[in-house]
Amino acid sequence: MSEARHYDVILRPIITEKSTQLSEHNQLVFAVRKDASKPEIKAAVEAIFKVKVEAVNTLVLKGKTKRFRGRPGRRSDVKKAIVTLAEGHSIDVTTGI
Amino acid sequence: MEIKETAREGLKRGYKVTYDAADIEERVQKRLAELAKTVRLPGFRPGKVPIGLLRKRYGPSVLGEILEQVVEEGSRKVLAEHELKPALRPKVEVTSFDEGKDLEFSIDLEVLPEVPEVDLSAIELVRYTAEVDEERVRRSLENLAKAQRQYEAPEEPRPAREGDQVVIDFTGYRDGEKFEGGSASDLPVVLGSGSMLPGFEEGLVGKKPGDTFRLELTVPEDHPNKDLAGRRLVFEGTVKEVREPKPLAIDDELAKAYGFEKLEELDKAIRERLEQEYRQRARDKMKRQLLDHLAATYGFEVPQGMVDLEFETIWKQLTEEMERSGTGFESTGKSEEELRREYRDIAERRVRLGLILSEIGNKNQIKVEAEELQQAMIREARRYPGREREVFDFFRNNPGALEQLRAPLFEDKVVDFIFELAKIREEKVSVDELFEEPEDEEDAVAGAEAAAKVAAAEEEAQPAQDRG
Repeated sequence: MSEARHYDVILRPIITEKSTQLSEHNQLVFAVRKDASKPEIKAAVEAIFKVKVEAVNTLVLKGKTKRFRGRPGRRSDVKKAIVTLAEGHSIDVTTGI
Repeated sequence: MEIKETAREGLKRGYKVTYDAADIEERVQKRLAELAKTVRLPGFRPGKVPIGLLRKRYGPSVLGEILEQVVEEGSRKVLAEHELKPALRPKVEVTSFDEGKDLEFSIDLEVLPEVPEVDLSAIELVRYTAEVDEERVRRSLENLAKAQRQYEAPEEPRPAREGDQVVIDFTGYRDGEKFEGGSASDLPVVLGSGSMLPGFEEGLVGKKPGDTFRLELTVPEDHPNKDLAGRRLVFEGTVKEVREPKPLAIDDELAKAYGFEKLEELDKAIRERLEQEYRQRARDKMKRQLLDHLAATYGFEVPQGMVDLEFETIWKQLTEEMERSGTGFESTGKSEEELRREYRDIAERRVRLGLILSEIGNKNQIKVEAEELQQAMIREARRYPGREREVFDFFRNNPGALEQLRAPLFEDKVVDFIFELAKIREEKVSVDELFEEPEDEEDAVAGAEAAAKVAAAEEEAQPAQDRG
């Protein structure tokens, strides 16, 4: 996988109350591309942040159906990746890439 | 916190204040914790945002805020501990600071000088009084009558004489062409009134109704209209009417023209106005004596910063004035250098007087009441009929402008207060003597502004302490 692809896979960190709680277990949450696979995500995180990744769990958050001026529409889906880092590694997601 | 005095020279003081890094850090923490309770960030419920995240996001701005606070607190403490009364806003400069290091800043200021106790009862002043004399009343009545003078065509048409009013039509030419403002019709001109170009009125003497005239005139070099100054103009026209003045009538009719019922009333009004004028003049003179006395008797060091400020104001006014009138320094017969020195002296005198007056005022609890200020504002507004609203709004939005109204009021009150206590000798003089000009009028307006500035500075200092 090329260098540029790494940056394409990971869209942004997700910073919420829940994700900060996860950081106690050395886990981080990222929004990733819809078609990214777990090995891809692992490679991307390892390459970009220079850390060792132990596991990647993913989930797809389905967009809600919303009505706009009476017409039904759908918010886009988001794929989240919960990345567990190996012991002794850490990333400061708030600083940005 | 550590305070060190670095300079002490005359009225100048310098201090160096050092704050511990830990001290600052603690305050930043506290402020962040406070912020955490209220800040809203997407993804977090209010009050649940982790401090670490806040620090990342708001750290620099919080730090800036804290620094400002610390510096202000420091300077206030310096002033309080050393019991300093700053003449102007102290100059505060942060000399060194980095995150995690101690904060160091310097404070430079000038203190207000100790104003010596002024023994008011020892002041001796002369109040000049002048009586309204008949001659003057008669003259003003005549002037009023002249302004209302009626003209009438004489029974027998006759050539125009000096003092007659002629009605004319005319056209003016410059280089054979008409020019703007050079023509008029049915214009009444009083011969000898000097309202037209020099030579114009003279050229009409001796003309009869129906006569035509042609005048060639040279406009004086100093004519306000630059396009015409120094040019040769030709005027052609006809005299339509010659009217002679009716004899001056000082009677009830005249009084009615000015809105009075009877001649006596007009007479009385004139007397009153003159009297008031004299009183005002006498007061001005007395005030001048007082200021001269104060300036001469009480010499003490004045803060240079204030003198500079005052000087700048005078200087700016002066240069602007010169620019407007188009004259340079040469016209005063003095070099810029000399003038500067001269006005510096005046500035110093003003500041000194301002300090003395405000000191006397403060000591005796003389205050400008809100009501008086209001009245001054109304007076000011009256000067712009139809736009009173604007004036009020202006004052409401510009506290500085209000301050400028307050200054003369304050000065007047203090001066009146002194007048009450001072020894005053009455002296009768003639009207002419009363209006004799003192050598230089320039600083008669002394110190009002300086006094106001001091008063304002003190008021400013007060709430600052209340806040802490």
